[in-house]
Amino acid sequence: MNRKWMIWMVMATLLTFLYGCPKKKPATPPSDLNVETTTVPASPSTPSTTQDVQQPAAPDVNDQTEDPLTSADMQVVNDELQRRGFSPDIYFDYDEATLSDDTRDKLSRNADLLKSQAQLSMTLEGHADARGTNEYNLALGERRANSVKQYLGSLGVGADRMRTLSYGKERPACTEDVESCWSQNRRVHMIITGRSNVG
Amino acid sequence: MKPRFAILTVLLSCLLLAGLVLSAQQPPTAPPQQELQPGQPPGQVTLELNRGGQVRKIKLAFPAFRSLGQLTGAGGAVRELEETVRRDLDVSGYFEIQGPDALSGLSLTGDVQKDLAAYRSTGNEVLLLGDLRVEGEKLVFEGRVLDLGSGQAVLAKRYSGPFSVSRRMAHTFADEVIRFLVGKKGIALSEIAYTADRGGSKEIYVMDYDGENPRKITGHRSTSMSPAWSPNGGAIAYTSFFNGGPGLYLADLGSGRKRPIITSGSLNTSPSFAPDGGRIAFARSYDGNVEIVVTDLSGGNLRRLTNSNAIETNPAWSPKGGEIAFTSSRAGNPHIYLMDSEGANQRRLTYDGTYNDGASWNPEGDLIAYTSRRDGQFQIAVTNVVTLESRVLTSGPGENQSPTFSPDGRKIAFTSSRGAGKQIYVMDLDGANVRQLTTEGSNDLADWSRSVPER
Repeated sequence: MNRKWMIWMVMATLLTFLYGCPKKKPATPPSDLNVETTTVPASPSTPSTTQDVQQPAAPDVNDQTEDPLTSADMQVVNDELQRRGFSPDIYFDYDEATLSDDTRDKLSRNADLLKSQAQLSMTLEGHADARGTNEYNLALGERRANSVKQYLGSLGVGADRMRTLSYGKERPACTEDVESCWSQNRRVHMIITGRSNVG
Repeated sequence: MKPRFAILTVLLSCLLLAGLVLSAQQPPTAPPQQELQPGQPPGQVTLELNRGGQVRKIKLAFPAFRSLGQLTGAGGAVRELEETVRRDLDVSGYFEIQGPDALSGLSLTGDVQKDLAAYRSTGNEVLLLGDLRVEGEKLVFEGRVLDLGSGQAVLAKRYSGPFSVSRRMAHTFADEVIRFLVGKKGIALSEIAYTADRGGSKEIYVMDYDGENPRKITGHRSTSMSPAWSPNGGAIAYTSFFNGGPGLYLADLGSGRKRPIITSGSLNTSPSFAPDGGRIAFARSYDGNVEIVVTDLSGGNLRRLTNSNAIETNPAWSPKGGEIAFTSSRAGNPHIYLMDSEGANQRRLTYDGTYNDGASWNPEGDLIAYTSRRDGQFQIAVTNVVTLESRVLTSGPGENQSPTFSPDGRKIAFTSSRGAGKQIYVMDLDGANVRQLTTEGSNDLADWSRSVPER
């Protein structure tokens, strides 16, 4: 009972947090950006004409961005789920997106917990090891995340509670070039990120 | 159209130069005039540019530039300009250059007409002279090329600009020299887009083709990657995570503005422009299954080109527009495939290696360079799309990945971990003359502009 209360309190804080969240401002670069560029004519000219060579003006690169949200409240929810046996990470073989038997066991426990907390929604982060190209690994991470989504879905977790997000090899958990490290990066990381619309 | 224009302008400049340059700066002589045509260097030598074959290099005497008057305030700009012209002409591969050291053994009088024989005595065919002076706050550079057979100045150009653009002046002149003597478009003004991690986030950068003048294009403080030049060089499409999942964005290089192209769905990556500049091929997820899709620049008119249960990604639009190369794992491992730009006629191109990805076309459209895993190491390979003949261009320690052809098709830039961290290197088409372009931080995913960027 105590725990249930705690989860609800966390959810309340969370809602406040989510609604109080600053809205992203549209990027408005300065309107007076004056780009002075003189293109050098392609045709040869005699020394009687002098080409004025100028550097293209460097535009402002200070894009309006926000740091990714980090929420202490979310951390509490995720920690609590893990105390109840939720596996936040499941692992894959090289260039594979299929689920092993061991992985399926973990996911089915996750599914039970998720079904008991129907108000929670989750992001499935797909990751890959450092070998191969950035782009292929993004596709591989997407495929891994979707494998997990499909399987959890087949166990009764609503698809609208799960969002896939592939990071490919862009957010490694471990950065050395050894198999013991690569194997930690071939993973789907499951993280509670909010309250689902269907509650 | 273009060659004819070039010939016309060259002829015109020859006529003008014969009058202007000679009367102004040299004692009038009446040698039998040798008309130089683009692509036809002095001495009636036909330059062979067969990619595999031995290239006949033009022998060029290149003494130190002359400083006219005090170069007050110019700082390093003068030396930088001369060094840049030298390097541009050297790395072009078209010339065998005799510089000040090689020429120091000659007894030169300083009078060009009297020195012609001396320059010729060591085999030189053309002579490049440069004069530099300062006018107020501006550096004025005059470069001339003389045919050592006739003594005629065959090319003369004058450039003026602030000291800060000395490199750009040098590149402009070097490309003129190449265009005039070789009849080919130089690449000294081309640029390379790439990703760099220099402070915790991966951003898009652009540098000159020689690695100089790096500048930051994005400041999303997230992960931005896979830059792809628009055909005219005015914009770069890229993938970024700054607003959630990987989406496609467009950076206008003139204004610095960025805008989304397509961010719906869970994954949009790996953009490649059609040569018309109006469409982009990219990889998009359909329920976790990544496929090749074409869109306009506003994210509209989506057209899905592939439909398999495997991964399809990394499209590369052919330079003539009729075909798209892409990566597919439909055969079990990733390999390069080709299809026409409407999605029909999908066929496998690569069979060697166990992992082939990241196709880059050469401008002629007959070669595709890609990342290929050979014996457990990633290397740069090239396959001829007509003959299907393949070659591996790299070897040795470290991984070599993400090749991109230069706009003249004679060089390939790529990422290698052979030295400290991941850096961008460039090599000739036969794998020779490897030079490192980046040194700071971790650099990757180079895309070479298709021409001289317009802005």
